[in-house]
Amino acid sequence: MLALIVRRLLTAIPTLLGIILASFFLMRSAPGGPFDGERPLPPEVQEALRETYGLDKPLWEQAWIYISRLLQGDFGPSLVYRDFTVTELVAQGLPISLTLGGLAILLALLIGVTAGLFAAVKAGKMIDKSIMMLATVATALPTFVTGPALALFFGLWLGLLPVSGRGEGMAWLIMPVVALALPVSGAIAKLTRAGLATVLKQDHIRTARARGLPETKILFKHGLRPALVPVASYLGPAAAGLLTGAVVVETVFGLPGLGRYFVQGALNRDYPLVLGVVTLYAALIILFNLFADLIYGWLDPRMREE
Amino acid sequence: MKSLLHPSHWPLWVVIALIAAALLLPFILPWTYDQIDWDAVRAPAFTGSHLLGTDEIGRDRLARLAAGTRVTIMVAIAAALVSLIVGITWGATAGWVGGKVDEAMMRFVDALYALPFMFIVILLMVIFGRSILLVFVGIGLVEWLTMARVVRGQVMALKQRPFILAAEAAGTKPLTIVIKHILPNIAGVALAYLMLTVPQVVMVESFLSFLGLGVQEPLTSLGILVKEGADDMDVAPLGLLLPGGVLVLILVCLTVEGERLRDTYS
Amino acid sequence: MTLYALQNLTVEIAGNQLVQDVSLEVEAGQCTAIIGASGSGKSLTCLTPFGLNSGSAIGSMMLDGIDLSNATAAEMRSARSQLTGFVFQQPMTALTPHLTVGAQLREAGAQGGFAFTRSDMIQKLERVGLSRADEKLDQFPHRLSGGERQRVLIAAAIAHNPKLLIADEPTSALDAALRSEIMHLLDELRAEHGLGMLLVSHDLASVEGHADQLIVMDQGSVVESGPVAEVIANPKQDYTKRLIAATPRLEEPPPVLSDTGEIVLETSDICVEFPKPGWRRGKVRAIEDANITVRQGEALAIVGGSGSGKSTLGRAIAGIGPVTSGSIFWENELLPERRNRSLSMRALIQPVFQDPVASLDPQWKVSDIVAEPLINLRSEILKPDRIIKVQQVLNEVGLGDEYHDRSPTSLSGGQAQRVAIARAIVADSHMLVLDEATSALDPLVGAEILKLLAQLQREKDLSIIFITHDIAAARRLCHRIVVLDEGHIVEAGNMGDVLQNPQNETTKKLLAVS
Repeated sequence: MLALIVRRLLTAIPTLLGIILASFFLMRSAPGGPFDGERPLPPEVQEALRETYGLDKPLWEQAWIYISRLLQGDFGPSLVYRDFTVTELVAQGLPISLTLGGLAILLALLIGVTAGLFAAVKAGKMIDKSIMMLATVATALPTFVTGPALALFFGLWLGLLPVSGRGEGMAWLIMPVVALALPVSGAIAKLTRAGLATVLKQDHIRTARARGLPETKILFKHGLRPALVPVASYLGPAAAGLLTGAVVVETVFGLPGLGRYFVQGALNRDYPLVLGVVTLYAALIILFNLFADLIYGWLDPRMREE
Repeated sequence: MKSLLHPSHWPLWVVIALIAAALLLPFILPWTYDQIDWDAVRAPAFTGSHLLGTDEIGRDRLARLAAGTRVTIMVAIAAALVSLIVGITWGATAGWVGGKVDEAMMRFVDALYALPFMFIVILLMVIFGRSILLVFVGIGLVEWLTMARVVRGQVMALKQRPFILAAEAAGTKPLTIVIKHILPNIAGVALAYLMLTVPQVVMVESFLSFLGLGVQEPLTSLGILVKEGADDMDVAPLGLLLPGGVLVLILVCLTVEGERLRDTYS
Repeated sequence: MTLYALQNLTVEIAGNQLVQDVSLEVEAGQCTAIIGASGSGKSLTCLTPFGLNSGSAIGSMMLDGIDLSNATAAEMRSARSQLTGFVFQQPMTALTPHLTVGAQLREAGAQGGFAFTRSDMIQKLERVGLSRADEKLDQFPHRLSGGERQRVLIAAAIAHNPKLLIADEPTSALDAALRSEIMHLLDELRAEHGLGMLLVSHDLASVEGHADQLIVMDQGSVVESGPVAEVIANPKQDYTKRLIAATPRLEEPPPVLSDTGEIVLETSDICVEFPKPGWRRGKVRAIEDANITVRQGEALAIVGGSGSGKSTLGRAIAGIGPVTSGSIFWENELLPERRNRSLSMRALIQPVFQDPVASLDPQWKVSDIVAEPLINLRSEILKPDRIIKVQQVLNEVGLGDEYHDRSPTSLSGGQAQRVAIARAIVADSHMLVLDEATSALDPLVGAEILKLLAQLQREKDLSIIFITHDIAAARRLCHRIVVLDEGHIVEAGNMGDVLQNPQNETTKKLLAVS
């Protein structure tokens, strides 16, 4: 188990490095620069700024400097928000994005697995079909539609929840988290239902039934764990999807999370900011995939061999 | 598979009806989607010839909705085809060649799967300008992964089937085997996943457009309309609910139809 | 004393009556066997009364004084958990993958009201012949081999001292060599515990010597029943007679085989290696230094258990599998491996596979499937002649014109295998490589295919390589036999000589189950 973790972390290093370098050169090959702005600065000032931030050096050297600084935990200065370092911006945005993403995945798992289980128990009945229809609709709900729609209903019309920013207490979290979690919970419900339907037809369930176990015990002790394998393998892509969705949700609800910095940074050519956010995102997703792998091994011991 | 006319295929018919409406409306409506009616800014529904009213600068909502649906569907189909071609080529090659080549090709797919690929696409959009061509190439390049996995799995399974060995023994050349035995047998599954890719692509395109990184003015798409609507929703909720509703309807119908197709083939 | 009795049992699934009026009895300490082809309703008969499949059972079902036909769900569960034990066909999938062997054995005991200690469980596993039982208790099922898993299932099935053991094809998924061991184990346990046993099998030969009563089923009804020896020695019904005639047995008189000619195929030191899966280096040797010869008009049996490399050797010869080193000669001309084989060489040797349905492309129609080799291998034959030839060959294998436009998915196993044979002989091949070509078929159908092959061999003077695990079946067709074990040829000779005087352990084991 430990060997697996170590091996995964070791393979994560080149992956991460690859992503950083790819993003680095991608950004730099683009026309335009961070100091274009609305009113172009005088050439001498631009030149001075480029020199200050080391943008006049050869690209490879810049990449090398960036990575060696990164190893010391320094994401470099922001080129646009010139009073802040990227580390400061990220330290401010990361907790918000993590809270949103973490809560959303928990909520999605809770709703999805429960709904899927319920539907599988009532297989073929009306309630099963209704739950699955709802799940399909939920997967087809884009965050950028549900976000504003929720804000419209619960914020503007009913006045129940704050529409923008972080007000008092935790109420500000409800709508962004729900908007994020909805499509994921639909997908998890469908995967759980399908997984259980497959597993409950398998031979080992018949063996358990032949031993005279009650149906609920068969479901929970023998059926549920293997049925959740597809859910576990969906967690990685789901995490990536949530981070993407967070970009929209943060924009819609005016939350200063990582996603907003990313979009604005990209539009403004704020190289260090964008790179910092991409690096963090990639690291988060890699960690999450590792976590999903560990769950995998617990769900089905056959997976531990690989 | 039941005939496409069977009532159980209602989702497909809803989508076809929407597309037909989007294509035909420009010939009927007195307004084009970018035409400004200075006399009717922010008109409510059923004002004069504006069936669904106008937006904050006086453009006809229905005309814009039709235009947005057209662009979204067009981009979706084009990008889904890109993903189909890339996915089938990649997946079939990996599955057919097998061994280390397959291992390497699928590791690559796995790695991309786990990446925040959407962010790379956003970077691409920001960097290389925002042409509509790039939008669907970019999206197609993200969405081919599932297709590649599915096709590869199918090809691997088929390759083990004795009828492929029998074809080899019958002297059929490898390329002919792929074309005449393998591809016809994966066509159904590929079609089902193509159907499921379309809503994915619609989602990505609208997402990019919503962020202002996809389709650019004066062209419009459902994502742009949702964005405009969201910005103006406190005054005119219809501006958000209409394009949002159409988008969700398209997504739901395509997903339901695609999943049913997938279930019949697997 | 009658332990378990079914009277006029009818089984319905979704409104279809799949079993009608079946009556049977199992005495304590004795074994009743149900024999039938697939679809005969034999498994439904033994599992449905216990609610172990989706069907509903109607009729009188008495188990040890309890009437199962109107038992409540709880009574049914206790009938399963305390009175009955079940052993199923697929040991690979019948154990829960995420629970250790010990946990599953403990659960089986607990359901019957026993709290097992670790040493109890070790003892139970040792009793069913599992070595290093202590270690195995903590292992997950996937670490165990198929035979080991079946032993665990048997241990769990009798852990709670049931009175009735229901064994649904307990050995058919196992390697031939293991079958007799498992059957003997079941016999011993039956004697020890005074268990009544209901045994289900598709293979008449496998229950002989293990069962007391025999019930022959066909299409959902009992055809004939009675004491095993009596039914086999003196069958009354036509179906039973045909079934007994179709089941190859070693005791039957040797068949009359046609004469053989000159050596046509010769292999010299064939080795086949496969790379280990994944990125790991290293290779697995599937075949090592195989030397065989086949004469004109001769049938050679290649016999071995699963994993013995017999299919790999067959595929290498047929040019559809890799050859690492060594050579294959056809009338002293070298046949290169796979893709390098020319079309005229391909025309010499054609394969037929085990799974008849999977060996036909579901998207093609029958006449196109049969025409495929003709188009490539006999391109000099023009289209009108080709159509005639296809028709002619389909007739030879016993399929009329109405089959030409059929899709393979609409064919039965036997019909599909006939199409596959037609495809193999249409280009006037000289040799067929038959890889378990009759094993997946029901006994009656398999015997007919075997007969067809013998007839084609005589008419066309074909050479045949008959790959199988079943020596008795091979004996009906083959002049000589080669026995493979773990990639090595361990015994070779004339069929009669090897059967009378087997030298190698593997051969003896294979003979014991035929």
